[in-house]
Amino acid sequence: MSFLFENSYYIAAVGLILIGLYIMAAKKNLIKVIIGLSFFETGINVLLIAAGYIRGGSAPIFSHPDMQAGKMVDPTPQALVLTAIVIGVAVLALALSLAVRLYEHHGTLNLRKIRELKW
Amino acid sequence: MVNPVLLLAVPLGLAFLTPLLAFISDRIARYVPVAGMLFNCVVSVSLIPSVLNRPIIVQTGGFAPPFGINLVAGPLGITLAAVIALVGLAVSVYGLAYVKEGATVKYHVLYLLLLTGATGVVLTGDIFNLFVFYEILCISSYALVAYSGDKNGVEAAVKYLIQGSIGSGLALIGIAILYGVFGTLNMADIARNIGSTGILNTTLFIALAFMVAGFGVEAAVFPLNAWLPDAHSSAPAPISAILSGIAIKVGIYVVVRIVFTVFGAPSMFMLLVVIGVVTLLIGEMSAFSQNNIKRMLAYSSVGQVGLIVFALGMATTGGISGGLFQIISHALAKSLLFLATGYMIYRSGSMEISSLQGMGKRMPLTCCAFTIGAFSLVGLPPFAGFPGKFMIVRAAIAQQQHLFTFLIALVLFGTIIEACYFFRIVQAAYFTGPREEPDAGKQRREEAPLFALAPMLGLLVFIIALGVYPEPVIRLLDSCAAELLNRFDYIKGVLG
Repeated sequence: MSFLFENSYYIAAVGLILIGLYIMAAKKNLIKVIIGLSFFETGINVLLIAAGYIRGGSAPIFSHPDMQAGKMVDPTPQALVLTAIVIGVAVLALALSLAVRLYEHHGTLNLRKIRELKW
Repeated sequence: MVNPVLLLAVPLGLAFLTPLLAFISDRIARYVPVAGMLFNCVVSVSLIPSVLNRPIIVQTGGFAPPFGINLVAGPLGITLAAVIALVGLAVSVYGLAYVKEGATVKYHVLYLLLLTGATGVVLTGDIFNLFVFYEILCISSYALVAYSGDKNGVEAAVKYLIQGSIGSGLALIGIAILYGVFGTLNMADIARNIGSTGILNTTLFIALAFMVAGFGVEAAVFPLNAWLPDAHSSAPAPISAILSGIAIKVGIYVVVRIVFTVFGAPSMFMLLVVIGVVTLLIGEMSAFSQNNIKRMLAYSSVGQVGLIVFALGMATTGGISGGLFQIISHALAKSLLFLATGYMIYRSGSMEISSLQGMGKRMPLTCCAFTIGAFSLVGLPPFAGFPGKFMIVRAAIAQQQHLFTFLIALVLFGTIIEACYFFRIVQAAYFTGPREEPDAGKQRREEAPLFALAPMLGLLVFIIALGVYPEPVIRLLDSCAAELLNRFDYIKGVLG
């Protein structure tokens, strides 16, 4: 039980990544595939945050004289995740706008029916 | 001496300046990519002599490495930056004439961003920064594949986007694991922490596998190349040229940099060699069976990627400089082929190979450029493809192992298939007449416009010059190979 508790963030991250991959592999609708992509990216962000997180830690600012550096959360992964979120937003926005275009051309978002280019 | 950071800052700044300039006049906006790439070309070539002495390390924000983000302008990075700028310049001049319809301003912005991303990837020394530049490259290429907005382009772009995003996601997982283990993002610092044993523990091996698989999607090595034929064949001609010439080479660079410099993992070399040969054979055989000329060229790129990965996987000085030479010659020749094909398709109105019959009379100069590009890719002597392939064959035989002799035989077999399908097109263009020509005696000449012919001619000059006199480039590439093989020099150069 303690294993689950100690690694709960990692388990959640891997779970989200696997859920995202499953959705992308199994779903036919392009919008759902894009939702899966969003799950996948969120999972990776949680993984990055978990790599630098300390349970019960504080922000890395010496706001109080008797704060110790050892109990501070690593800020670098949070900066990385901020960047990764922005990149993810760009990818999702582009994917959704392409989905709109695809619907205009084919009248469907079912990927099994869009087979012009040998999917 | 110029600061290498300008290679990134100038195109990036120009990219975001373009929409503002377009308010004044669309005419100015069209010339912005040409100006940016010309600047990059001059700066990167002028930096080559000084980086051969010692790599230039650029600190950003005053943080000395391993803290902060740094740029490492070593021989390999600057050489690739020069190739990117050269091909980018040729293709942007071509774009002046070719890109007329649709959102032309956005095209130029995205085009500059793509090249900025590619240059950033080859110059950066920070692994997360590498990921960010890689994503700039990928996102702008997803958008550019769909630029024309037609049925095939959008479908190919969706496919490319989904597969590319999964790939970069996997790479980010690898980066997260590395950060979790070492607490640093500087590539030299990670390499120092991994050490020189050559044996990786399980965690590091998982990180390596995630990163090779993730970045391998852009490199289009065999099991990960499903997106390439669609994306490269559905994109507009200049974009196909830049994707085949630059984008996949950047993917190969990342994989090689991670395997050689960051991890120093000799256990991966054999995998690269085998993947390379399989990719080569599958690419060439698929190309042989295509009727659509752009799909054929796209599959031929897959084959060439296989050859390059095979050569780099040999991990000897000869093999690596042969592979790098092949990167340069393929970048020049394949972009030339796509540019020439762009106007041949434009004039004939069809991508079918059969519709190119008699093109040698209708567009003699364009066809001549296509023929020379094809000859160079196949590896005929006076052109740039020959020294590259010759160096690879020599390096494989110098290994003195039966396995490599067998593999190089397979590679040469692939080259024969390549020659078959390229000569088929050359034959169709020159030696068969158009099927229904009402006044065949008149010989209608419909040459491509001047702005399209000039970059083709420029690339041709480079192909012939490299083929006739490859010595200086080979010497340069030998020091690039040394940079990849001696990871301790790299670590010492960055961390001091």
